[in-house]
Amino acid sequence: MRVVLAVSLVLGVACTNNPYPEKDDGKKVLYAQYHEPPKTLDPAVAYSTNDHVVTGKVYDTLLEYHYLKRPYELIPALAEAVPEPQERADGSTAYRFVLREDLWFQEDPCFSLSGGETRRILAQDFAFELMRIADPAVNSPVIDPFSNVRGFRDFASRLKERRAADPAFGRLPVHEQYREAGGISGVEVLGEREFEVVLETSYPQILYWFAMPFTTPVPWEAIAYYDGQGGRPAFADHPVASGPFMLTRYDKQARFVLERNPNWYGLRRPEWKAPGAVFPEVTGLAPEEAEKFAAYVGKPLPFLERVEYRREKEPIPAFTKFLQGYYDSAGVVRESFNKVIQENDLSEEMRAMGMDLERSVVPAVFYIGFNMDDPVVGRAGGERSRKLRQAMSLAVDVEEYKRLFMNGRGLPAQSPIPPGIFGHDEEYQNPYRRVDLQRAQKLLAEAGYPGGVDERTKRPLRLTFDVPDTSPESRLRFSFWVRQWRRLGIDVELAATTYNKFQEKVRDGAYQIFQWGWVADYPDPENFLFLLTTEMARSVSGGPNTANFQDKDFDRLFAEMKVLPSGPERQRLVEQMRSILERERPWIELFHPEDYALTHAWLRNVVPAGLSIPTTKYFDVDPELRARLRSEWNEPVLWPIFLLFGLAAAVIAPGIVTFYKERQ
Amino acid sequence: MIPSPPLAFVPQLAMTEPARAALTSNLIVGALLVGLALAIRSIRKDDVWREAFQQVWARRKVPVVILGLYVFVALLDSVTWVGASGALEDQVAAHEARSVLDRMFTGTTEKSYSAPFATQEFYDASALRHPRRHPLGTNILGQDVLYMTLKGARVALLIGGLTSLIAIPLALFFGVSAGYFGRRIDDVVFFLMNTLASMPSILLLIALIMAMGRSTLSVCVALGVTSWVAFCRLSRGETMKLREMDYVHAARSLGVSNVRIVLRHIVPNLMHLVVITFVLMFSGLVLSEAVLSWLGIGVDGSWGQMIAQAKDELSREPAIWWNVTAAGVALFGLLLAVNLIGDALRDVLDPRTLRERG
Repeated sequence: MRVVLAVSLVLGVACTNNPYPEKDDGKKVLYAQYHEPPKTLDPAVAYSTNDHVVTGKVYDTLLEYHYLKRPYELIPALAEAVPEPQERADGSTAYRFVLREDLWFQEDPCFSLSGGETRRILAQDFAFELMRIADPAVNSPVIDPFSNVRGFRDFASRLKERRAADPAFGRLPVHEQYREAGGISGVEVLGEREFEVVLETSYPQILYWFAMPFTTPVPWEAIAYYDGQGGRPAFADHPVASGPFMLTRYDKQARFVLERNPNWYGLRRPEWKAPGAVFPEVTGLAPEEAEKFAAYVGKPLPFLERVEYRREKEPIPAFTKFLQGYYDSAGVVRESFNKVIQENDLSEEMRAMGMDLERSVVPAVFYIGFNMDDPVVGRAGGERSRKLRQAMSLAVDVEEYKRLFMNGRGLPAQSPIPPGIFGHDEEYQNPYRRVDLQRAQKLLAEAGYPGGVDERTKRPLRLTFDVPDTSPESRLRFSFWVRQWRRLGIDVELAATTYNKFQEKVRDGAYQIFQWGWVADYPDPENFLFLLTTEMARSVSGGPNTANFQDKDFDRLFAEMKVLPSGPERQRLVEQMRSILERERPWIELFHPEDYALTHAWLRNVVPAGLSIPTTKYFDVDPELRARLRSEWNEPVLWPIFLLFGLAAAVIAPGIVTFYKERQ
Repeated sequence: MIPSPPLAFVPQLAMTEPARAALTSNLIVGALLVGLALAIRSIRKDDVWREAFQQVWARRKVPVVILGLYVFVALLDSVTWVGASGALEDQVAAHEARSVLDRMFTGTTEKSYSAPFATQEFYDASALRHPRRHPLGTNILGQDVLYMTLKGARVALLIGGLTSLIAIPLALFFGVSAGYFGRRIDDVVFFLMNTLASMPSILLLIALIMAMGRSTLSVCVALGVTSWVAFCRLSRGETMKLREMDYVHAARSLGVSNVRIVLRHIVPNLMHLVVITFVLMFSGLVLSEAVLSWLGIGVDGSWGQMIAQAKDELSREPAIWWNVTAAGVALFGLLLAVNLIGDALRDVLDPRTLRERG
């Protein structure tokens, strides 16, 4: 009887593969997936794209980027206006931020500390977050760009000294420690809604940092309350924020849910029509593109009620769920590429499903770097090593790599600066970034390695390529580069280690060749070229210049370029820096990756952003269309069940027959 | 004044690294062949063993021939020397120790995937350099899959053989001393065995390989350390039985030393177990290596690695099936042959199965 019941349940009631509750069917819910859970949601620490999935939506910033305009343009969000730099007599530069009136945090139990369920956002909350970035105990990865703020480093060292000297001080709540240590002198709170940031020297890029969650307002109550003790989560797992969405459920390993935050200024005060709270005017787009957005212009954000994130560990099942309509958007996995993309566009099959493909070059660069501290490939070898690097650069065939491993996606890189960033030059062809084996062999011979053979040992030159991945698939990818160099007669050995071991090697300087990448934080060439300055060298300051490239001319040009506004003068400096890199070859620039994003017909307003910036508040879904297409695409296939029952019956029936026969 | 001899007269004693590698490989092959010859000679002298192997041959002709083929391919890949003869893949190869197999397949590389016996590339339809010359197609880097598969034979036999050579003497030593001497030694060995047996072997393997670093030898050592327990238990029990045999008692009462008793009376009577265990363990070890490769800590060039590299290719559309199929069939063929032979050996050698069959 029970079997019959179970069968009828399978065939009748539960006959759907919908992973979501039915009551959500008509709602404006966005369904998305994530692969790796965020490491931390602390806005002062979170720096990877996995973390930004959450922090970018819940933490609101003073400034943000215009959703549609390219090149990128800053617009005011929590601030009333984008501040202008004010030169001061003592050589410093000040930026004065004025907050909108009547900004509130989301409701949260932590505000019981100040006697309420929420409270207004004050200028003090921004100063508090900047102090947190400076605080050595927080371990923020972005201390460097802010250390130009007057008194920033002083504050950090005062705090450290007081903590070391007086254990009782270290046990005080963090905000009281900061108050007693005296704050950062260059962050002047001028009132409830006004504060000023004073920079020692000019650094125009600082404004971009105010468009990132690092500088969001953080209430001191949240830090004091969410200490990870007494059953309360840690602040890194429980954001208290002011953005358009708030995190209402956070099962890191399985799913998280973001819901509209009723306290967000866009929802509290729709009559303001603030630039960050309404869909922007469409400018500079093709007419058919512009038409897609026409109905939305001027409407208050956000359109979505809720965002549901589910964890998907394996790419293929995740993509299948997307094809069934249970995720609203997806990237293109390599295995399905030929099914989805044909002749550089969506395949017929996908187009029939109403899908849309957005292609965009990511403002990022991947490169093979040489450790310039190494005696063989580095600066100690002088002219000889330079020619070796040039020769190796000439042997690397990126087009072929793209074809084999990236389905032809991506743009071969000629310089560190990706398209969409000032200083990128489409016309520029790096003379060392195309394949020319004859020239490479000539250079190699001049470097003292004719045919790759080291004249001293009479053996092929032996180099080591350190890779932070031990998986069998990655071995194929990296051995592709090795085979390129073997064509020159250079014997490059692959040393595959785990990521931690690799970082250890990098710390110890025990590496020759490595592969790495950099994704833009903000749209400025400074953010790419600083990766090659002496100041940032791994062996000098532990910075991200892993190639340890050090060049006086380059540093001088960089210092000049950094403070200039984008214009012909700046372009000239970037070109000069580019030609130094062209000759010195600390990097073999590989490619700028290209993103293919698939969206279903019911998802609206998706514009590729490139930079890791929050865009979800602009998205909209059409739940009716989604429900209809989902049920069309997921017609239950019943015959295997009947076949199974038939087979089972065929197996059991003879047994039953025999049983009754024998009994008689 | 006596002129100093010109440099050319100084004999070149220092060997380059690849030459050394080639020599080592060839020495190992030589030693193995000599060992095999000696083993065959002593088997031919001994009636019991000769009869046993004759029976196995009679019952398992095909598997023995297949195993022989695998061994032959592995030998082809083990006899190496330095020097350019014939075509070269690239300039580095001229300075490397290359085996007979490497030399047979020199210059067969394409640009990327091609299906078996294809005339053009799989994805972009450009013409191949060697059309119809790849019976098993080529992989993503354009390497001939037949070549990669044949190279895997050496790795598999090396892993199976070397690990058995580590594990079996270890197990025999501990098992026999525990079984023969009993008491404290038995307690200690048993404790050791139980401790090892109670640890999840895959975790222990990973930990050992991570600690020793990734190399063929360390994988073999790790596999050896984790796989000796079962045979140790078996040999201990068998020794306890043999210890109470009349001829052992007689030897002891005549004043023969313990070491001599163990070597003359106990160990020779365990040899049939050694042979059976060796063959059966062999296939298990090759499979374990495939699992390790899947986890990214296996031996380079093994079939397990080929399968792990190709796992996503099957779900491509259209699917790349030849990589995973070639490695899978090669692995399957070796394991089946070895298991069939092992089965027959057990039937012939193990007194228990003899008794059962009457």
